[in-house]
Amino acid sequence: MNALSPVVEMNNIVKRFGGIHAVEDVSLNLYPGEVVGVLGHNGAGKSCLMKILSGAMAYDSGEIKIQGNAVEMSSPIDARHCGIETIYQTLALADHLNAPANLFLGRELKTRFGMLDDRKMEEETRKALRSLNPNFRNITEAVMNMSGGQRQVIAIARAIYFNARIVIMDEPTAALGPSETAMVAELIEKLREKGIGIFLISHDMDDVCELCDRIVVMKNGRKVGEHKVEDVNKDDILSLIIKGELPDNWAPRSRMSA
Amino acid sequence: MTGDERKDLVQKFAALFSLVVLIVAFSLTSDAFFSLGNAMTVSLQTTSIAFLGIGVTVVILTGGIDLSVGSVLALSGTVAGLLVKAGWPVYAGMGVGVLVGTLCGIINGLVVTRLKLAPFIATLGMMMIARGVALQLTGAAPVSQLGEAFGELGNGAFFRMLEKGANGLPHMIFPGIPYPVVLMVLMAIVVAFILRRLSIGRHVYAVGSNEEASRLAGVNVNGTKMFAYATSGFLAGVTGIILMSRLVTAQPNEGVMYELDAIAAAVIGGTSLMGGVGTISGTMIGAFVIGILRNGLNMNGVSSFIQQIIIGCVIIGTVYVDHLRNRR
Ligand SMILES: Nc1ncnc2c1ncn2[C@@H]1O[C@H](COP(=O)(O)OP(=O)(O)O)[C@@H](O)[C@H]1O
Ligand SMILES: [Mg+2]
Repeated sequence: MNALSPVVEMNNIVKRFGGIHAVEDVSLNLYPGEVVGVLGHNGAGKSCLMKILSGAMAYDSGEIKIQGNAVEMSSPIDARHCGIETIYQTLALADHLNAPANLFLGRELKTRFGMLDDRKMEEETRKALRSLNPNFRNITEAVMNMSGGQRQVIAIARAIYFNARIVIMDEPTAALGPSETAMVAELIEKLREKGIGIFLISHDMDDVCELCDRIVVMKNGRKVGEHKVEDVNKDDILSLIIKGELPDNWAPRSRMSA
Repeated sequence: MTGDERKDLVQKFAALFSLVVLIVAFSLTSDAFFSLGNAMTVSLQTTSIAFLGIGVTVVILTGGIDLSVGSVLALSGTVAGLLVKAGWPVYAGMGVGVLVGTLCGIINGLVVTRLKLAPFIATLGMMMIARGVALQLTGAAPVSQLGEAFGELGNGAFFRMLEKGANGLPHMIFPGIPYPVVLMVLMAIVVAFILRRLSIGRHVYAVGSNEEASRLAGVNVNGTKMFAYATSGFLAGVTGIILMSRLVTAQPNEGVMYELDAIAAAVIGGTSLMGGVGTISGTMIGAFVIGILRNGLNMNGVSSFIQQIIIGCVIIGTVYVDHLRNRR
C-alpha cells in the first residue's frame, strides 16, 4: 500500500497455554499511517497477539521487529520504549484512582523536587479528556464511579497522550455510545494522518470496512486471511471468520468492479 | 469535593466521633482519665499500635497483609538487647535491631514476590520463624540489666519539667512529651507524605487497586510490594527497640498478638482489606481508639478478660462497616 518500510514486523509468533494454541505461527506487518483491522471469533487469539506486541504477554517463539530492529518485547515498558501504546480490552484502569492518576500511572509528572505534580497532571488530563469528549466532568473522581464510556475514554486518552508511533486498540468502542464511537473514528483518521500505525480489533464490520486499509482474520490462533479492504466485502470477511476461508470462486473485488 | 473523598471523610469522621465519645465517656466515669499526665500515658501506650499499624497499612494498601510484625518486633528488640549486653554501644545495638526488622520485612517481600506465596502464608511463616529465633537466641529468658542508656529512648521525654520538692525529692510539674510519641508523629508524617506525594506511594495504591493494570502501565509491581513489606518490617523493628527500651529488658515474649491490634487499627481507620483504600491519618485514629479503649477500661477497673471481649466486638463491628463499604 505504500513504499515505506513497516514499523512493525511480527514473524512466526507462537503462543500456547498447555494444549491451547492461542497464537499459531502468525506473521503480520504494519506500515506507518496504516490501519489494520484484526478480526475473528471470540477466542481466536486476537487479544493474545496484541498483548504479545505490547509486551504484556510472553511469547513462546517468533520474532518482533520495530522499524527494522529486532526487539525483546519482554515487558510493557519495552513496548513503550518502542513507541507502542495499547488500549486493552479490559481497559486496565486502577479503579480506586482518579483519571489523572490512571492516565499518568507508571510515568507520573513530578515537580523539581521529585514530588508528584498533581496539579499539572490534572490540567493535562482535563485537556486530553476534553479533546475526546467535551462534556467530561468529575475528573478527580475515582474511576470506579464512572460510566463505562468515561472509563473507555480515559483508556483511549492514555494511549494517545504520549505520542505513540504505534497504537493498538482492542475493541475500543465496546462501551461507547454512537457519538463517542464517531469520535473514535475521527480520532483514528487523525492518528493515521500523523503517520501512526494502528491495529484495530473490532467486531463492528461497518467500522472495520470504513476505517481500515487492510484486514487480517484469525481463527483458532492461525491467520486465515489478509486482504486489502477494497478486495473483500462483508460476506467475504464473514466467510473467513466463520469457515476460515474465502467463498468459492472469490476474486479480488477491486479488480472485479474495475 | 468528589463523592469518594466525601465517603472517605464520612468514614474518618465516624472514627473520630467514636474517639470523642470514648474520651467523654471515660472522663465522666473516671476522675483520673482526663489529665495531661494520662494523655501522655495513653499516647505512649498507643505508640506501639501506631507504629505497627502504619507499616501494616502500607502492606494492606498493596492488597497484602503482614501477620509477622508482633514477632518481628520481639526479634528486633532481643537482638538489640543481646548486642548491648555483649558490650555494643546502645545506638549500634538498636540500629542493628531495626535493621533485623527491615530484613525480616524484605524476606517477607521476597517470599511474596519471588516465591509467589499468598501474603497471609508468607507472613504467617515469618511470624513463627521470628518468634522462634528470638526465643532460641535468649533461651526464652528475658535479658535484663542493660544499663540506663538502653532505657533512654523508651522512657525519656522532651520538655520534662522537674522541681525539687520540700522533702528534697524531685516533683514532676510537666511529664514532657515522650520520645516515642514524637517519633510516632514523625513516622506518621513521613509515611503519609510518601503515600500522598511520591510516585512510589501512588504505586502502592495502584497495585492494591488493580495489580494487572499496574503491571500493564509499567509500574514495578514487585518493587512496590518489596517497599511495602520492608517498610512494615522497619517499623516493627522500631517498635521492638522502643518497647524493650521502655522495659529496659529484652523480652522475647513481647508483642504477642500485636499484629492483630495493628490490623484492627488500620481497619478501624478505614483501610480496606481488599487493598487500594486507606490513609495513615485513619490508622492513627484507629490506633488511638484502641489505645484509649484499653486505658479507659483499665482506669474503670474493667478486668482484662472483659477488655478482650469489648475490643473483639469493636473489631468485628468495624470490619463489618468495612464490608458494608465494599459491598455496594
Ligand atoms: N492467560 C491465559 N491463560 C490461558 N489461556 C488463555 C489466556 N489468555 C487467553 N487464553 C486462551 O487463548 C485463546 C485466545 O484468546 P484471546 O486472544 O483472548 O481471544 P480473542 O481476543 O480473539 O477473543 C483462547 O482460547 C483463550 O481461552
Ligand atoms: Mg479479545
